[in-house]
Amino acid sequence: MEARGAARLRAERRRTRLALAPALGVLTLLFGGALAGAARTSFVPLGGHATLDAWRAMFDDPAFGDSVRFTLQVTVLSTLSSCALALVVALAVRRRSLAVRAFLSLPVPVPHLLVALTAVLWLAPGGLADRALGGLPLTLVRDDLGLGVVLVYVYKETPFLVLLLLAAMGEALATREEAAAVLGAGPAQRLRWVVWPAVRTPLVVGAIVVAAFVLGAFEVPLTVGPSYPPTLAEFALQATQGDLLAGEGVAAATLLLTAAASTALAVLAVRLAKDVSGG
Amino acid sequence: MAESRLQRALGALLAAAFALPLVVLVVRAFADQWRAPALLPQVWGLRGVELAFSGEAAAAFGTSMLVAVVTTALALVLGWPAARVLGERRLRRPAFAFLLLAMPLLVPPYATGAGLTEWFLRLDLTDTIAGLVLAHLVAVLPYVVVVLLSAFGPQVTALEEMARANGLAPLQRWRWVTLPAVRPTLAAAAFLGFLVSWSQYGSSLAVGGGRPMLPVVMLPFVRSDPQVAASLALLFLVPAVAALALTARAARSPL
Repeated sequence: MEARGAARLRAERRRTRLALAPALGVLTLLFGGALAGAARTSFVPLGGHATLDAWRAMFDDPAFGDSVRFTLQVTVLSTLSSCALALVVALAVRRRSLAVRAFLSLPVPVPHLLVALTAVLWLAPGGLADRALGGLPLTLVRDDLGLGVVLVYVYKETPFLVLLLLAAMGEALATREEAAAVLGAGPAQRLRWVVWPAVRTPLVVGAIVVAAFVLGAFEVPLTVGPSYPPTLAEFALQATQGDLLAGEGVAAATLLLTAAASTALAVLAVRLAKDVSGG
Repeated sequence: MAESRLQRALGALLAAAFALPLVVLVVRAFADQWRAPALLPQVWGLRGVELAFSGEAAAAFGTSMLVAVVTTALALVLGWPAARVLGERRLRRPAFAFLLLAMPLLVPPYATGAGLTEWFLRLDLTDTIAGLVLAHLVAVLPYVVVVLLSAFGPQVTALEEMARANGLAPLQRWRWVTLPAVRPTLAAAAFLGFLVSWSQYGSSLAVGGGRPMLPVVMLPFVRSDPQVAASLALLFLVPAVAALALTARAARSPL
């Protein structure tokens, strides 16, 4: 009897592993292969011996330091502004009609490149805003601070984060808020002790997704960003366009560093979220 | 909690602030002449659309579509069993599986694309549809699994048990019970997968430099000819909106 039960358990476990194998196997092969490939490209130039030249060339390039600073600045600004705005917007529209929410989520399926183009058409010198206002108070497209890039990300990511937040602000939360109100909790207290614990996890997950995307994408900075400094992804792209053979190694080194940075940021965000959880 | 007229106006204003700016893409695409300081174009026309279709954009549209559809289908087939196991919490220690699913979402697609190129060069896969599909799969598969797993759980299992007790064969059970039960989530997973592949820029550039993909073709026009860029943008939006409409229809489930 017992032996038969154990056999069934083993068969069940084998079935579970078999079900996971296709997806996880393909991912391990492709993603692991990609990382190994990038590492190989950065250490072994085509037809040569293993060397640290690519990494040295990356660190020695004066543009690299500027690029790290600029990329981090854009990533932190975009992520924090999107999160803050998304919280405000989600609280403002959570009891609004479906139509309001549908219009609000319109930018979600629109590719980043199209949002960047929209920003150029509105905000570039001679663009619609310039014409309507008869002059712009500040430069927002291809400006040195990367404000245009941040603006595009905030416009594109805020609705995405709002969707995540609204999903967490369902009926159950409304019931709990009412209970808290009956017990005498003011609006600020309800926000801190009822709403915030419910939305914290989706907000952190969303923030990690946003930050990882901003760190590694380059269609937006290529379109509305300054020509200098480049973001890290742009820096990698420029390396491949300069010196064809050595450039691939520098690009791979830069991209590996970016991957490590976004992984570190994600770990940090998860840690921080646990620390400030307030019990 | 009663809502004031002010609150309602604020909601509408917020919605408009996010929806309205996109209208400029349509206007710009059909504006043959739009000189400053006019707020509306002087001459409307189809110059942008004609130019957009005369170049490599038509081929790029086809390639992008093919790659997105094949990648999404492949991701759904590969991801379904895994999503089921994870959704039903049949794994005692799922941390490793979730870590493996999360990692490709954290690493820039340009990085995975560049890394894969190292091997694709040896396998003659650069600039091929197969290479592009494999590169896109790295980003699409995790999204599909993560969305799809929320469809599975005790309710679906209970329905399937009932169907089994009533003597439905496995294939019939899948067709008449499982599929309708998970359809809304399946549609959402397919939509997200399609969109991730469709708007993929970094990995397409790294792996398929010689094969035009729509986002890669479009970017240079943003500076050189905004009207063509806007026309390509509309072309870019059509499948995304169509996929959204299809998803919304499929989501109207009988359950």
